[in-house]
Amino acid sequence: MIYFLLLPIFSFLFVVFQTTVFELLFFNRVCVEITLILVIYAGFHMDVLKGGLLSFSLGFFLDIIMGTVMGLYVVLYLSVFFLSMLVSLRVYAEKTFFIMSYVFVCALLECWIVLMFYKYIRDLDLFHKFISVFLPQVLVVSLISPACFNTFRRFGDLLNVGAERSDKRARNR
Amino acid sequence: MLFLKKHRSAILATIMVVISLIMLSYNIVNPSAENGFIRKLVLELAVPIENIVNAPVRALNNIWKRYLFLVGLENENRRLLRQNALLTQQLIQHQEGYLEGLRLKKLLSLKNQVSYKAVAASVTGRNRKSLHQTVMINKGSAQGIKAGMPVVADSGVVGRIIETSWHVSRVLLLIDENSNVDSLVQGGRVQGILQGNSQGCCVLKYVPKMEEVHVGDAVITSGICGVFPKSWLLGTVSRVTRGGDGLFQKVEVVPSVDFSKLEEVLVLMPQEKGARE
Repeated sequence: MIYFLLLPIFSFLFVVFQTTVFELLFFNRVCVEITLILVIYAGFHMDVLKGGLLSFSLGFFLDIIMGTVMGLYVVLYLSVFFLSMLVSLRVYAEKTFFIMSYVFVCALLECWIVLMFYKYIRDLDLFHKFISVFLPQVLVVSLISPACFNTFRRFGDLLNVGAERSDKRARNR
Repeated sequence: MLFLKKHRSAILATIMVVISLIMLSYNIVNPSAENGFIRKLVLELAVPIENIVNAPVRALNNIWKRYLFLVGLENENRRLLRQNALLTQQLIQHQEGYLEGLRLKKLLSLKNQVSYKAVAASVTGRNRKSLHQTVMINKGSAQGIKAGMPVVADSGVVGRIIETSWHVSRVLLLIDENSNVDSLVQGGRVQGILQGNSQGCCVLKYVPKMEEVHVGDAVITSGICGVFPKSWLLGTVSRVTRGGDGLFQKVEVVPSVDFSKLEEVLVLMPQEKGARE
């Protein structure tokens, strides 16, 4: 229950920190979409309800803070989440190389869908930016993804230990 | 009941996808829909956090630029002194012209129908996501700001408001590809549409090949559409290409505002003459 209560706050803070702190780490040159890595991680390790809601809320806050069309990143993140769930059923998704390649493909797919969306729905051709802007972003995201996966795993372990302790305490009472 | 338990995951997934698709479709169909309460609330909450995070970075940047990195300052100072003398001379000439214009205007009884009230605001956040060139400012609908209002800085036009919350607004910069401003090349009075190209500069579109446009010409707002007041500086012509097919020449314009150093802006709120304070 605590997870669902904290989810909106966590997602909101995560998106805000992504657009401020994480971008400062890369000297504001590259936009690093760590939310996408988190969604993929959720697809590999979480159930439909928890992971789906996490992807939904991350996409929702990203849409608001970035000022994109409301719902665009929600749809994208949910698609990536469900795709990752399906992939994790068939493939052993723990190897570094696999994680990097998979994140690369997902980031590329996301970028392509966003560009197509703007071209056909908003009549705005942004394809000329692909090499100079989007490709570096995709490469950076895929390069840092194994480190992010490790961080998320450790963070998840910590939360699980906390949850187990509180359960124990409740049972002892 | 058993069916629900058995297919719980599939049902949840379907519900989430359907909700997200409805949300997206609604916003595609109604792009100018009023911001919802949650959207406003999120923007209100995000800006203070961004401010806290950006404050030390801004302070460090200021220290570096103002006290440490002073290479070439003496040369720049000399150049600015020379430029200042030249500009003072030009200003006196222009003042004469302006006063003459005022006298003639009075004679012809031409009056401005719209005046503007300015609201000063600070830039609190930048959208570095490469899709849109926007900045956030710390004034919103509580101060009377509405979507569509022009935003200017001391050196020229910045852009226009595209989204407002109670105390926060989003400004679409001149250099964004969605930005189109009715403009005028000052020297030859050539009209065109100034569109951003997201790479720090703009393109003046629909300028016929037969029109004379020179590098260095000032590009100003024409005031035709009524969004921007007339004669605000937009930028200067940096390149003119007449070759190629088509009826129009390609005019590249460097904006007068340095968007990377933007800190304070003015939001211009149109007021009818009778309603002026």
